[in-house]
This record gives sequence, C-alpha cells and structure tokens, in this order.
Amino acid sequence: MDILTLFWNLVPVTLVQGLIYSLIALAIMIPFRVLSVPDLSSEGVFPLGAAVTAALLTVGAHPLVATLASVAAGFLAGMATALIHLKFKVHSLLAGILTVTMLWSVNLRILGKPNAPLFGFETLYDWVSRAIFPSLALQILFFGVLAVTLILALWWLLQTDLGLGLRGIGANPHLAPALGVSLVAYTAGGLGLASGISGLAGSLMAQLQGYADVGMGVGMLVNGLASVIIGEAITGRGTLLRQISAPVVGAVVYYQLSSLALALGLNPSDLKLVTGLFVLLTIGWPYLVGRKVTGTGL
Amino acid sequence: MSSTDSSTPALRLDGIRITFHAGTPNERVALDDLGLVVNQRDFVVVIGSNGAGKSTMLNVIAGALTPDSGQVELDGRNVTQLAVHRRAAYIGRVFQDPMLGTAPALSIEENLALAGRRGQRRGFGLALNAVNRKRFAEILAPFGLGLDTRMRVLAGKLSGGQRQVLALLMASLRKPRLLLLDEHTAALDPGTAEQVMQATRRIVEEDELTALMITHNMQQAIDFGNRLLAMNAGRVRLDLAGQAKRDVTVDDLVQRFAGAADHQLLHA
Repeated sequence: MDILTLFWNLVPVTLVQGLIYSLIALAIMIPFRVLSVPDLSSEGVFPLGAAVTAALLTVGAHPLVATLASVAAGFLAGMATALIHLKFKVHSLLAGILTVTMLWSVNLRILGKPNAPLFGFETLYDWVSRAIFPSLALQILFFGVLAVTLILALWWLLQTDLGLGLRGIGANPHLAPALGVSLVAYTAGGLGLASGISGLAGSLMAQLQGYADVGMGVGMLVNGLASVIIGEAITGRGTLLRQISAPVVGAVVYYQLSSLALALGLNPSDLKLVTGLFVLLTIGWPYLVGRKVTGTGL
Repeated sequence: MSSTDSSTPALRLDGIRITFHAGTPNERVALDDLGLVVNQRDFVVVIGSNGAGKSTMLNVIAGALTPDSGQVELDGRNVTQLAVHRRAAYIGRVFQDPMLGTAPALSIEENLALAGRRGQRRGFGLALNAVNRKRFAEILAPFGLGLDTRMRVLAGKLSGGQRQVLALLMASLRKPRLLLLDEHTAALDPGTAEQVMQATRRIVEEDELTALMITHNMQQAIDFGNRLLAMNAGRVRLDLAGQAKRDVTVDDLVQRFAGAADHQLLHA
C-alpha cells in the first residue's frame, strides 16, 4: 500500500506537470490533426521558450514580456519549419528535425550556457499573485484555467473564416488554394501557432522549476504524442471541441499513468522506452489486427 | 466582383507553350503556341484524346502550371504569374476526382463557408452563422439530393455524385468570372453523371457564368455549350460555334476524331 500512497501523494504535483505538458500535446495535435502536416518542432521549441524567458528575466525584463517573447520566438520557429517544408520541398518531419537541430545551437547562444538558474527573479506567477508559487492548489487552478482558456480560444479560432482556412488546407491541400487559401501563408501561420504554444509551455516550465536547460525538450514529443493518443481514446474526435480537448485530457492522464508506473517500480530511465512502445502499439494496433489496411496510423 | 465590359474576353490565352521534361529523352510539348479567346458567357466544351493538352490548358488557366512562354489574361488582366490562390478570385474549378473538389473532413456547410470566401480576405468572424446557414440550405435544396437537411454531415460521407454537386456549388457560390470543369462527371456512373450535368446546366444558366468544360463524353459535347473545341498535340484543331456547333452530331465528331488528320479537322 506504500506504493499507492506514494502515487497518491504525488497526484497534485503530477497534475501540475500534466497540465503544463498538455500545452505541448495541444501544440502537437494542431499540425497532426488540423493541418495534416506532422511536425516535430516542439522538441526544440520547448527549450527555446525556456531559454528566451530565462535570458530576458536575467536582464531584468518584465515576466509578462519575457513570456510573450517566448511565444513569439516559438511562432517564428514554427514558421521556419513550415517554410523549410514548403519552400525547400523538404518533408515536414525532416523540416522539424532540422529546426530542432538548429535550435539546439540557437538555444545555447540565447542561454550562453547549458543551464541558467532563475531563482530570485520575479516570474509570471509572482506577477499574477504571490500566492501561486507556494501553493500546489493554486498552481493547479492557474494551469487548469490556462488550459481551458486555450481550448476555448482554439475552438473559437478554428470556427472563424481564418480557422476554417487552416482546417481547409489540412482537409484538402489541393482544393484550398483553388478557393483562395494560400498554402504557404496558412501552413506557416498554423505551425507558428502550434509552436507559439510550445514556446509558452517552455517559458512557463522554466519559471516554475526555476531554471532553463537546453536539454529540457528531450522526449517531449513522444510524451505529447502519447497524450494525444490517450486523449483521443477518451474524448473521441467526433466534434471539433472533442478533438481540441483530447490533448489536454490525454496529457493529464498520461502523466498520472507514468507516475503510477514509476511508483510501481518502473525504472525512470525505462519510461521513454515504455512510452515509445505504447505509442507504437496504439498506432499499429488497427493494422496488426487487420481492421485498417490503408493510410497511416497517425 | 464588379461587372466587366462584356466586350472584354473572359479569357485570353496567347502563345502558350509548355514543355514537360525539357532537355530529357522524355521531352514532350504539351501546349504548342496555344491561343484561345473565350468571350463573356461562352460555355465552351473541350474534347480531345489523352495527351492532347486539355488538362494542361486548364492547369495553366488556373495557375497550377506556369507556361514556359505566353500570356494568360482573365477579364483583360494579365495573370500569367499569379499563384493559384491569388487567381482563385476569378476562377471556380471542379476536378475530375470527386475526392479533390470538397474537403472530406469538413461538414457540408463548412465546405460551403470555406468556398464562400473564395478570393476574399479571411478574418476572425465566425465562418458559419444563422444567415449563411439558411442561405446554404436554400442553395442546396433545389438540387434534390436531400443535402439541405444534412448540412452538418461530413462531405467525406457523401456519394461521388453528391460530392460533385457540392463541388459545383462551391465553385460557383461566389460567382466566378470563369468556371473550369475538368471532366467532372468522368468518375461517375451514367445516371449520376446525368444528374451532375443537369446541375451544371442549371448553375451555368442561372448564374450566367462563363464556363470551360473538358469532357470525353461526345454526347455531352453535343448537348452542352455554345462552342466546341477539339484539341490535339497541344493546339486547338477544331473550333465550332453557333450553328456549326448546333448541327454537329456524335457521328461527325467520332469520324473526324477517329481517322482525320489534323488538316481535315481544320477544314471541317
């Protein structure tokens, strides 16, 4: 029973973690599901967001400015991936890998060192309320409200003319230009939007844990994919709102599941292997049992 | 779109030349110094064997292909270098493949809303509201497909014929200066093709559209349009209008096409 007590005590901390990482899952869902342009940039944009915030906070910038700058940096990185993909005719996955690789150097330049502590600097949480940082309950409330706000904002955006254009290029990239939707502009905007959210996640994470680290994006992507898959299994994809909620629900569940697995004795260093196998199995399952024969899993 | 002087041609192609695989053993001239003037409110039917250049011509008009040389004018404006999405303000297009003309993952009403802003700025206004939902249902109702009561069904759930009618409506929802129909009934069974052609006639006549339709169906070529073009080897070889178009029969066409050399076509 000690094991379950250990897990139970960690539930609030894991919930905060899950809610922050739910932004990454959202950022992964947008390219995969809305634009049908699978993109891996998050893995490099997450530490980019952290690095930009850290660099700005340490030179005395206002935490809100630092956070927004991280969103903007993420947006630019996402646009870069889109332009590499469309202008240089590179597959979007490879374009994302190139962006992540190049961002490693950029992030080190921005931070000036592999790891920058942020203790003692005012953070976004302090700016909102001094009570947030010491209270797990308020952190859960903060990130919960943020996640719900993002879900609703995306839900609204994707129902506007602009958002319908984004879904249009995802649903039929041949038709959309014939209806006047620019493939380049909308893909760049869509990937920019997704990476902006990843940048925000990196910024919030750095401010919460009190440091930025160039290595903090490693594994984000597979965790995010696992979250999206779990979330879609729970909420389904039948409506726009379900599709948008899925990554957040999935991330919350995924991080509790991995916490449970660790409590049950799974070696933390094995977690990525287990997560990877989980993603593979879920994607491949319909093919293995012969229910699906065409298309791709994701 | 403002109305244009009816004497300005809807479309003018001048000296269009396209060579595929230039400089390789597979080099092939797809369009060979092609010239064509389509007047306002013409309904032009284009026939020709595979490889005659029909689809290449449509792609050049729509902007999917940029010609090696020559000029494309829409309503008197040179659009040769304009990208597809910029040219979309002038052009409505229906593809041969019913999968291509609609967005399967969007509902019927979302497809129409997407098409409703062709050539216009897209902003942060909600794409669907009570007013345009009602309008879309009213537009669909006369086509008797029962789609007007199923506006939230995904386009991917529709049959090929239903999708082509939806694609036609999407192409013409904002009145295009030129409607391009690229063998849009070729993938349908004869009964459905007939329905889609009736819908085509209705839309072209009611909206007073200028249209360019490619077909392999000789009967369609006879029954539709006020002008008939036959293409071969990247050029227009036969151009019938007025009484000559009205008098032509399927047998005529088949004969001229089957055996005729180019010069016979020309002197028809």
